[in-house]
Amino acid sequence: MSLSTLQGVSHTCFGLSYLLAFTLELARIRWPRTGLRTAGLVVGAVGLFTHSAYLAIHHPSLAAPYGSLLLLAWVLAVFYFYGSLHHARQAWGIFVLPVVLGLVALSLVIVSLSGTDDVDVPVWLVGEKFWGAIHGLLLLLAAVGLSVAFLSSVMYLVQARRLRTKANPLGAVKILSLERLEEMSRRAVNLAFPMLTAGVLLGMLMLNHEPPSTLVTPSLKVLGSYGLILVVAMLVYMRYAAHVSGRRLAVWSILAFVLLVVVLMAAHPFVEGGK
Amino acid sequence: MNLRIVGCNFRTANVDVRERLAFPPDLHARASAELAARFGCEVAILSTCNRVELFLARPHGATVLSTELATEFLGEVHHVPPETLTPHLYSHADADATRHLFRVAASLDSLIVGEGQIAGQVKQAFEAAQQLATTGPLLNALFPHALRTAKRVRTETGISLGHVSVSSVAVDYVKQVFDHFGDKTILVIGAGKMGRLTLKHLEELKPGRILVANRSPEKAAEVAAGCGGTPIPWDKLDDALGEADIALSTTGAGEPIVSQKRFDKQVRPKRRHGRTLVVLDIAVPRDFDPAIHDGDRVCLFNIDDLTRIREQTIAERQSHIRPAEAIVAAEVKNFTDDWQRRKNGPVIQQLRSEVDKVRDEVLTPLLAKLNGKLSLAEKEQVAAAFRLFQNKLLHGPIAALQDASKEGDRGTLIEAMKKLFRLG
Repeated sequence: MSLSTLQGVSHTCFGLSYLLAFTLELARIRWPRTGLRTAGLVVGAVGLFTHSAYLAIHHPSLAAPYGSLLLLAWVLAVFYFYGSLHHARQAWGIFVLPVVLGLVALSLVIVSLSGTDDVDVPVWLVGEKFWGAIHGLLLLLAAVGLSVAFLSSVMYLVQARRLRTKANPLGAVKILSLERLEEMSRRAVNLAFPMLTAGVLLGMLMLNHEPPSTLVTPSLKVLGSYGLILVVAMLVYMRYAAHVSGRRLAVWSILAFVLLVVVLMAAHPFVEGGK
Repeated sequence: MNLRIVGCNFRTANVDVRERLAFPPDLHARASAELAARFGCEVAILSTCNRVELFLARPHGATVLSTELATEFLGEVHHVPPETLTPHLYSHADADATRHLFRVAASLDSLIVGEGQIAGQVKQAFEAAQQLATTGPLLNALFPHALRTAKRVRTETGISLGHVSVSSVAVDYVKQVFDHFGDKTILVIGAGKMGRLTLKHLEELKPGRILVANRSPEKAAEVAAGCGGTPIPWDKLDDALGEADIALSTTGAGEPIVSQKRFDKQVRPKRRHGRTLVVLDIAVPRDFDPAIHDGDRVCLFNIDDLTRIREQTIAERQSHIRPAEAIVAAEVKNFTDDWQRRKNGPVIQQLRSEVDKVRDEVLTPLLAKLNGKLSLAEKEQVAAAFRLFQNKLLHGPIAALQDASKEGDRGTLIEAMKKLFRLG
């Protein structure tokens, strides 16, 4: 495949691939055939390849919500692919692919609303490019951790509901055990916590160097910072509170992830104060 | 095809008859060798707790072994008058026999449809026959095809999904909660038969510790000795429940031994870090108050829950029978067509080589006569024309032979062909 062909790769290519992979996963619940699993994996791999090519060729800015959401979607697509290979019997894609598709769709919404996928780097990043990049990277890693925590938490709640209702343990949708899912969530929270804390602290330090005039009107970006602090507080609770049950951990992980996505979306040039 | 299956199963014969007709290993070997020698046939014997079947195949041209001979042999080997066996036996020949074996291997003829054991037993029967050197071309083709069919049915339909024993369903539930068991404690309460069976399944998970509580210390010690567990006094039950991850309860108590009140007051406070407890209450009447089930900290499954899942699974399997039968039918057709082609193969080969010989007898002198008058390319054209003529001439008879085989011709046309073309 030539570079010029890859340059033609768009959101549609990987978006539709993920959608088709998701459809095949759904079909596999009804018709548990090896062929459907293989087809799903192949289509998912095509999606991941074109997604990777898109990121490599267009390298969207990670400082922008558009770029960070796309990269987050890519990390989750890798998570989907790895999980599908290693947990052949589990309905992995059923849970992960909708989130991947959601993030890709969100990034498209952002582009369509702003009309550009470029980003005006905030003033406080212009003079501090290196630290800005570190700040962005830490937030992204935290987002990855929280995404994994979110997915395992959703699966946990579904599994817990099935146990509560005493549903068939070997029903059509196979999910990992409660213990395994809780471990995954805790590990992901443990990963996200130091990343997000360091990222937020770095952001606050840089914000202190911001010219006072830019801080007069509280923008959504500033509110986003408060949102991030709130996410850190939630992570502190999940990480350090004594005996947080699996169910409570799952609910808090989901809330933290949703809040983080909102923050990632809010910190964008199209919103007031961004430009 | 010359294949005969004679046998009985759980539908045609009760366990007394099946026991009498069973083939223990030493008899299996003797009977196989005797059958092969006496009737000059390929032999495989499938002997399980639910069926006893003889698979007898003879070479092309020979007649199919009769049911009566096979029945007499069964009677002789097991010292039973053959006439007493006849009402319990079934017999299938050729394509019917193929279909029967494919259905058996695919577990469509099993007591519990979709059970996975039978395919392994069919494989063992075939391997044993191979070791005894009683298989030949037909059985060597038939059994692997049957096993492939069974695999297709298993993977392309949901017929083998789920478990159909209460103990296995209980373990399935446990696995929905826990991932690793080396650090888990199983508490066995009581010593019921069903409980011991479930405990055997749970032991396969290799739990870290097994505690056994029983009103009778002797019984507790006996059960503990059987599973490598530790007996605990009955009055320490609440403490043990506080430590346990899985409680398997199977007492014969007339009323619940753990009420919700007792659990909330005596057990819940002892459970560390909100760990989940899975209670498998397979006692009747129940040992645990169902109200303690919350699906989070306590997951309680009683005998009704487990039986309901078992019945759901069986019902679900029934819905996969039709697609499974379609796979079997398609595979039977594939096998019989393929076998007919193989059967005709030697005759067709002989026919071709005979006609090749005649062609060469005509062509070689002709080309010698024309030597010097034709170029090399022209000679090749003449040879090609002869070959084309020969192929066109043989196409009709060969196609007719294949068609006749497909339509069930038992060799009349082959014989006619042999006579017409004077094939040895």
